Formats: sequence, C-alpha cells, structure tokens
Amino acid sequence: MKTPAVLGSVRQFSTISVVAGISGVYAGFLVTCSAVFAASSTASGTAAVAAILPVVAAVFILIATYVTAVVIVNCIDTVLAGMLHRIALLRLLGGSARSLRSSVARRTTLLATAGAIGGVLVGALAGDVLRIVLVDQGQLTRTADYPWLTWWLVAPVLVSTATTYLAGRIGTGRVLRVAPATAMLGASADPREDHGPAARRRGSWALIGTGALLLVAAMWIGEVGGTALGFLVAFVGAATMSTGLLTGARLVIPAVVAGLGRILGSSPPSLVARRNAVKNPLRTTRSTMGLVVGVTLVTTFACGMDALRRSVDSWETSPAQRQQALSLLSTMTTVLVAVIVVSAVIASVGFVSTMSLTVIERGHEIGLLRALGFTRSQVRRMIVLESAALACSAAGLGIALGLFFGSAGAQSLVGFQTPGFVWGLPALVLAAVASGAVVLVLVASTGPARRAVDVTPVEALRT
Amino acid sequence: MTAPSRVVLSLRGATKTYGHGTGRVTALANVTVDIEEGRFTAIMGPSGSGKSTLMNLAAGLDDPTSGEVWLAGHGLHLLDEEARTVLRRTHVGFVFQAFNLVPTLTAMENVLLPLALAGRRLTREDDLRVDRLLGELGLDERRHHRPGELSGGQQQRVAIARALAGTPSVVIADEPTGNLDTRSSREVLGLLGSAVESYGQTIVMVSHDPVAASRADRILMITDGRIVGDHPRCTPEEIASLLIELEVGAA
Repeated sequence: MKTPAVLGSVRQFSTISVVAGISGVYAGFLVTCSAVFAASSTASGTAAVAAILPVVAAVFILIATYVTAVVIVNCIDTVLAGMLHRIALLRLLGGSARSLRSSVARRTTLLATAGAIGGVLVGALAGDVLRIVLVDQGQLTRTADYPWLTWWLVAPVLVSTATTYLAGRIGTGRVLRVAPATAMLGASADPREDHGPAARRRGSWALIGTGALLLVAAMWIGEVGGTALGFLVAFVGAATMSTGLLTGARLVIPAVVAGLGRILGSSPPSLVARRNAVKNPLRTTRSTMGLVVGVTLVTTFACGMDALRRSVDSWETSPAQRQQALSLLSTMTTVLVAVIVVSAVIASVGFVSTMSLTVIERGHEIGLLRALGFTRSQVRRMIVLESAALACSAAGLGIALGLFFGSAGAQSLVGFQTPGFVWGLPALVLAAVASGAVVLVLVASTGPARRAVDVTPVEALRT
Repeated sequence: MTAPSRVVLSLRGATKTYGHGTGRVTALANVTVDIEEGRFTAIMGPSGSGKSTLMNLAAGLDDPTSGEVWLAGHGLHLLDEEARTVLRRTHVGFVFQAFNLVPTLTAMENVLLPLALAGRRLTREDDLRVDRLLGELGLDERRHHRPGELSGGQQQRVAIARALAGTPSVVIADEPTGNLDTRSSREVLGLLGSAVESYGQTIVMVSHDPVAASRADRILMITDGRIVGDHPRCTPEEIASLLIELEVGAA
C-alpha cells in the first residue's frame, strides 16, 4: 500500500515548483546562450574568448540555485510548523519521524524537479529564439552548427534535484523532531534563539572581519599601485566577507531586523509586528537571506560600474574614446544587472510565500488580538509593518554591502588613475531597489492582511 | 433602555442562528437576561447548549441574528464591527480557556496591551494599579517573561491581570480553569472571586465545573439555547445535581 500519510498539500508547496521553475528558466537560458556563443566562436576561430562564458554562467546558476534552496527549506519548514497537530496525530498513530520525513522530501523533490525540467526547457527555448533573432540580424555567424538543446542542460536539473532533496532534509528536520506529545499540546516548535555552535559563530565573525580588512587593503593597493593585484585582493575580500555573512546570517540578519523594527514605534500593532518579525530567528534569516544576496549582487555590480563610469569621466581622453567607453560600460551594467536580478526575483517569491504562510499559521493569535481590541485596520497595519521590517532590512543590508563591495572593487581597479576615492552611487538602480522593496512589502502583505481580517474573531479563536 | 442603572450587561430576546434551510441551527433562542454590576455570574450547561454563543454576543465578538445586547449603556446590536471592537477594548476583559496571551509579548506587555490599545496614556494611578495587581497575582518576578516560559497557572494569572488592568465594565471568563490542575484552578477562582469582592468587578464565567461555579453569586443554567434555571449561590453538590437533572431531563 502507498503511504497515505503525506504532509502538506501540493498547493502549499507550490512555491517550490515556482522557484525551481524560475531558477530552471534562468539556467536553461544561460546554458543555451553559452552553448550558442561557444558554437559561434568555434566557427569564427575565437574559442579562447568563449571559454570563460560557461564558467561565468555556472557561477550565476549556482548563486540562483543557492537562493532557491534557501527558499525551499523555508517553505517546507513553515508549512510543517503550521501543521504540528497533524504531525502529532500521525506520530501517535505510529508514523515514524523518518518515514514522514522521507515522504515530505520525496514530494518536494518531485515538485522541484518537475519545475526545474519545465523551466530549463522554457529557458532553452528562449535562448534558441534569441539565437535565431541574432543570426537573422547578422550579429551571429550563420555558418556555425547551433544545437537546439545541449546535454549540458541536464546539469542544472540534476543540481536542482540534489539541492532540493538536501533542502527537504533540512526543512523537515526541525519540526519532525518534535515529540508527539509535545506537538499534541500545541507547543510551537522551539523558536528559541539558536545561534549555532560557538565555534561556527567565531568563524563567521573572523571571516567577516578578514574580508573587510582585505577589501580595505585592496582599496589602498588600488590607490598606490597600478596592478591587477588590487582587484584580486578585493575579489578574495568580498568572497571571504560574503562567506562569513552567509554562514553567520542568523547572527546578523535578525539583529538588523530587530534594530530597524525599533523605528516602527511602540504602538500595539508596531510592537507585535516587530516581535513577530524576529520571533523565529532562523525563519527570519531564511526568508530575507535570498533578498540580501540578490540586492547585494545587483548593487555591487551597479555600484562598481557607476564608479568606473565616474572614473572614466574624470580621465583625460578624447570625447570619442570616452563616449565609446561609457557606452560599453552602460551595456555591461544592463546585462550584468539583468543576469543577476533573478536571485532577487526568486527570493521575493519565497518571501511572499513565507509571509502568507506565517499569517495563516497565526490565525488563532490574530483572533485573540481582535478579541482584545485590535481593529481591522490595526491588524492590517501590523501585517504590513512586519513585512516592511523584514523587506526593508534585507534591502538596506544588501544596499550597504553592495555599495561597499562595488566601490571597493572599482577603487582597487582604477584608484591610481582617479583623484580621491572612487565612489559609485548608482541612483537609478538604488531607486529601483527601493521601489522594488516597497512593491514587495505590499504584495507580500496585502493578501494575507485581507484574509486575516476577513475571518471573524470568533471563527479565528475556534481554529 | 428602561433597565435599572445597576445592570451592566443585558440581553433582550437575543437569538442567534447559523446556516440556512434544513441545516439551520438555533444556538441561542430568544434569551433575555440582565447581569448586575459587581456580581460574579456563572453560566452552566452541557456542551453545545449555547453557552459560548451567549458569551460571544455579550462580549460583542459576534452579533445577534435578532434581539438586543446592551453593554454599559451601549447597544452592541446597533454598532458595526469596528465600533464594537472599540467598545470591547474599553468595556470587556477576557480570560479564555487556553491560548490566552500574545506569545511574542512579555507578561507585562500582555497586561498593558488593552490599555495601550485604548490609546490610554498610563497615569501614575494605572502604574500603581498594574503593579499591585501583578504583586497580588504573584507575578512580580515574572513580568519580563514570555508566555512560553510560564506555567499554565501563571499564564492564566497573567490573563486575569490583563483582564482586570483596564478596569473593564465586565470580565468575561470562558472556562478559565478548563486547562489547569486542581491547585492552579483554585488559585484562579480565588483571584476572580476576590476581584469581585475587593474591587466590585463584574464577572461572567462559563464553566462545566460545579466547584468553579460554586464561587459565583448567581448561576444561570442553559440548555438548547434557552435559559432554564437562574439560581443564587449554591454548593458544588447542589450544582452537580442541577446539572444531572438537566441531562436526565433532556434525555
């Protein structure tokens, strides 16, 4: 007999298919494009230039996959945390934690793989369409032997399946470890402060500190030197600091959210909102980490490019040369930001889904607040503020890191050619990030807020 | 309204039905009752008798299908949801059976929540009253703890402090001892009783438990959505036999 004891409906887990799908479209598109350019340069005899493309594509795909995995872990964890009673019942009836865990992991892996395959095919098709257009316009050679699909497309699907399986194991871990009796009492699944082992904590801080120092050193090398060494040091510094921030994210992000939350004030809706935003530090971290990664990447590239543009502006070159350099930089900025923004999109989908699930999970609490005298608009405001505290912290942290990384990178590259420090302040991109954050806050909170106040207090208290 | 001024809560022909056609259920049928100020009233009856519906109507959590509900001189049946919410937070204190406290707020913040919601600036008098309440309820050292760090009995005491802090017109307690052990139950009942005796607090309590109801000044029996008995203070034994009569009578 098949196990009937599957936790979580396909609908609840639909976010998994969606993010795996977006990630798949992205991977399919990048893989196809690099295959097309590889074929084109083989035909025109410039293979060496094209050799770097697959590496760059792989790095971007892995970043997107990482963000996707974080979103998936959070989705599974949130869905399961909302069904403690079901889990307890299944455990009491004799379901083992292990069998429940693998049934959830199987289902989520299947959903993600389906999404990834669909996405990769769509992405590959989009790449083929782009190729046909470019060939037609004469920007790509006609003589090359272009593949419609390459075997390399299998790689992102396999990577996606493997990471989802892993994400499924991690996402199911916490909740399914809860003892049946505890779960029956309705106790929440230990949202205690969990900063991880002390060794790891120290390691994270050491990486963050070392990375920051390396970046400062790189800026100095850039100012005095004229070597490629500065940029290399800046790259290593940024990578070190990012690793520290990612491993220590649950130290940094909840602190930032809690700090920003204080700005919201101390009226009852703000107080409850900011407490809920950091109630479960791990969930807070996971639901915002992807956004931080996405915003940091976008800002880093935009800021670095803007710094280079300012630097080029100050050089003594002929107007024609300057124009050419500026136009090249502008194209590169557009392409890079477009390529990198997908991580932010995936993270946003995850953020919306987590907000929605946690508000549903808090139905009873919202009923209590309504009984105690929260008006509908206060409940709505509370949910919007929670969403704002989270999304704005993520955007703020990402922008701060991005400006630091981007400026440091540019300074290390062209500092000696430019008087003073090379600052990049990409106003347009920063404005886009800020308005993106506002839109995200509204999208993530409007639906849940409406659903929350549609339920009468009596109904909510019964759930 | 012609009811005497000492009546703080009054239901006039209050009826509540759910569903339509053949699936129609009458939870409360034409109930008329007055609750007087400064008294401890217990509402008893079998499961599904309409106790909770009565409480929800009285507290303004739900509106009657027909009839009137008056609380502290305001006709709840005349108000919309928003106005009822505002009235509720100034005039009603709640103690529920379980899940009483906002989990992310400390004991102190939970107690002060109704005052903050009513937009009241805390006066020196409020501070003293809340301080004294927490002291009397044995919560002095627990004021900065989250609900998750408190025992069931302590949580219920925080809920009582919260219900009393805003000096509401009426405290509505829905099975306040339903989830507690015997000792905590006795404590909680003692606290509710002394709130009535010392501060003249009006309390309406729904309970299954004859021992709990024996603390009340008045006991209303309800079955099939109707009030079928209205008794002065009784012993637990008397209440138990009244309940058995109800069950046997219904069979």
